[in-house]
Amino acid sequence: MRRRNIIPKRATRTRRNPKVKGGSRSHHALELIDLVVEAAKSRELPAFLAAFAARAAVMLEAQWGVLGEIRGSKVELHCDEGSRSHLAECQGLLMENVTRKRAGLEVLAGKRRSTYLAFYPIYASDGELMGTLCLLRDVAEFSASEERLLAALGSHATLVMEKIRRFSQLERSKKQWVEDIDAISDYIVVHDQGWTIVRTNRSLATHLGIPPVALVGEPMSSLKHIAETGSALPCPFCRNTNQSREEYIATGEGRTYLVSTSRTQGATEEEGRTIHVLKDITDRREAERRYRELFDSIQEGLFFATPDGQFLDVNDAMVRMLGYESRDELLRADVSPHLYPTPAAKDRLVQAIAERGALRNYEETLRRKDGSLLHTLQNISAVRDSYGHVIQIRGLMLDVTEQKMFQSQLQRERDFNQKILNTTQSMILVLDTAGLISYANRRCFEAGYREEELTGHRLVKWVEPSHRKDFEDALQTTAQGQQVDNLELRVKRSDGSMGHFSISLSPMRDESSQVNSVVVVMTDITDAALLQAKLAHAEKMATIGRLVSGVAHEVNNPLAAILGFTDLLLENPEVPPSAREDLQIILHETQRTKEIVQDLLSFARQKPAQREAIQLNAILRQTIKLRSYDFASHGVEVSEEFDENLDNAMGDAQQLQQVFLNILNNAYDAIQESGNRGKIRIRTRRAVDCIEVAFIDNGTGVSDPDRIFDPFFTTKQAGKGTGLGLSICYGIVRAHGGEILCWNNEGQSGSTFVVRLPIASDSALAAAASEAGR
Amino acid sequence: MSAPKTSKALPPILLIEDEPSVSAFVRAALERRGYKVVQAKTGADGIRELSAGQYVGVISDIRMPGELNGADVHHWIQENRPELCRRIILISGDTANSETQSLLSKSTTPCIAKPFRVQELISTVEITFGKP
Repeated sequence: MRRRNIIPKRATRTRRNPKVKGGSRSHHALELIDLVVEAAKSRELPAFLAAFAARAAVMLEAQWGVLGEIRGSKVELHCDEGSRSHLAECQGLLMENVTRKRAGLEVLAGKRRSTYLAFYPIYASDGELMGTLCLLRDVAEFSASEERLLAALGSHATLVMEKIRRFSQLERSKKQWVEDIDAISDYIVVHDQGWTIVRTNRSLATHLGIPPVALVGEPMSSLKHIAETGSALPCPFCRNTNQSREEYIATGEGRTYLVSTSRTQGATEEEGRTIHVLKDITDRREAERRYRELFDSIQEGLFFATPDGQFLDVNDAMVRMLGYESRDELLRADVSPHLYPTPAAKDRLVQAIAERGALRNYEETLRRKDGSLLHTLQNISAVRDSYGHVIQIRGLMLDVTEQKMFQSQLQRERDFNQKILNTTQSMILVLDTAGLISYANRRCFEAGYREEELTGHRLVKWVEPSHRKDFEDALQTTAQGQQVDNLELRVKRSDGSMGHFSISLSPMRDESSQVNSVVVVMTDITDAALLQAKLAHAEKMATIGRLVSGVAHEVNNPLAAILGFTDLLLENPEVPPSAREDLQIILHETQRTKEIVQDLLSFARQKPAQREAIQLNAILRQTIKLRSYDFASHGVEVSEEFDENLDNAMGDAQQLQQVFLNILNNAYDAIQESGNRGKIRIRTRRAVDCIEVAFIDNGTGVSDPDRIFDPFFTTKQAGKGTGLGLSICYGIVRAHGGEILCWNNEGQSGSTFVVRLPIASDSALAAAASEAGR
Repeated sequence: MSAPKTSKALPPILLIEDEPSVSAFVRAALERRGYKVVQAKTGADGIRELSAGQYVGVISDIRMPGELNGADVHHWIQENRPELCRRIILISGDTANSETQSLLSKSTTPCIAKPFRVQELISTVEITFGKP
């Protein structure tokens, strides 16, 4: 090495420390000890390094010494104040050589003589270069003792630098830790076993309005006002000192804190520490409370559930809706098997959510705890993780059971009304107040009216012109809010014929009670009116029958005396011939009276009709034969329109022949009177439940068809008939359980007589047989 | 049946008829033919007469006021005077009456319908009771 044997001859000149005068080994030892003491006192590395460089310069007889400290890539030069002026001269050279990692020597050529810059690296215990000691000497070489000293100084520097570095590192991290603690907004307080505050953080001090250190040494009880925890211990935040950790919520001064406590075990019992962290969760609690309040007060059911439908949380409305006692009950049990009436329903829901992510207005029928059904409308959305997997489902549920029930009830009522409207035998129409038809029920169309004839047309046009004013008046009355019942009008049927209708009009009102339409119920009572007329007629005829019977009987006694005494007078030879002629007239008129009375009696009291199966076609042919000569000689044509497969009728052939003869005679007389070329059509046919015989003539017609069967009703000239013939026909047909009708032909002259008789069915024949055998 | 030959041997006919004009004419007609006639105005009177005396036959109206009518008299005779059973002639103002019809259908008793001719009466009486 070039540094060997370089002995600095004038080292004494540059000595600054008087203690090292003399330069002996003992001096060096003392100086090293001083250095150690100095180092022990020193906490600041730069100061130590400057002192160290100066002392090394003295000990190794250098003009000055510098220690280049290496920190990573940075180099810092340390020296005492006296040496600093020299640094500028050789700073470049120093900086160049500080990081060279090996001992060496640089020559500085001066004006008079050269000086030498020696470098000695200082390594850490792990071999890392910590710095380099640079000394400016007059001599190049170091003596052996100097070399040893240099090594000793180097290792000492290593020790001290490492120590100080570690220490400052510790200081730094300690300071950092305090800063970190202070940066925490939660309140932190540490106390020892004696309940004395050891440390607090800045947040707590700021909260209390005092410097952080002010609390150190104070008893924990001084913090009592922060939060009320109910603890009986001297520390307001300790509850159970046996636990290493505690966590609970406490409130105080209007704030809510989450108090987290940790206990550390020290080496001795006294060293044990308790750390309380008070987290102010007031706002969070408030937000939570508000959220919960909203969650629970909302009237719709809210739920959070696992992807497979298990509830995680539900609100009170949901609990109520599903009929459970409490939230816990609904959350505890796996309710889904009960909740879904069919397992498929739940699977369908879960699958739909997985596929679509959100469901809007999803209709689902659920089962309440008590088993009753709940119709719900749900809005559900899925919460997904970053991989897109559904991790939770959230939903809003509306109870639409009532609406559903209301809806279905409404539907039922509608169906019911529709059925009534469609099945009633009455025609029901709705008119606007102007009388235009806006609705017609099915019956109207069944009756043959066409939609386009009704809707949008005036109903009044169907009413017979002479009745239209009545209808218009009724419509007016109804439009003013009054009901009109059982208005009987003649209305044109779809086939053009006129029918007798009973019409009721009712006002329909809108929300503001204004009549906005009129409901018209129309019933064709033509048949009912006919039936009523027939009944009235039958009643009348029965009354006449009783009257006639009584009269006839009473007339027969005096008639018997008149006839008898007339006979006796005629037997008397003393009666002169002139009187005898008068008596003959009396006799004749009495005989005529007798016939009338007999007709009356046979009308009033029919002989019971024979009940047997008879062929009406044959009876009619026989009857026609009786009059065929007369008819032919007077040009009256009789046409037979017979159903040759006519069923047998039930009745008395003789009596019916009398009826048919009577009707034919009547027709013949009517034809004679009219002067027409006579024509009588006789038609037989099977009707629904009877055999019908119709006699259609082209005579004068009947002046009053309604009274034609009344006794003594006749239009014939006096003396031509008794006026009882058709009354007797009526009696006979009625006794047969049949009916006889008469009307004038429509659109042409003449009238029609119809006789309807019961069919000879097996049951009718059997009944007749059993009656006859009685 | 053999008719009696002398009028003296023939007992009277009992005529039961409530109508005075009718009984007057019938009595006159019969008496002119030589019959004797005893009159009764009701069915009850007639039965009393029948119980008391002898009669060649009975002519009775069917419909009469009172408790007993012609049908009842007919019945009484059948029960109490069987020998007169075939010597009854009924007269009726209403032969179409169903009661009359049923009475007549049950027996061969002749019935004359009012009003009737004198000849009709006399021939029925002569056939039934014989000539006086």
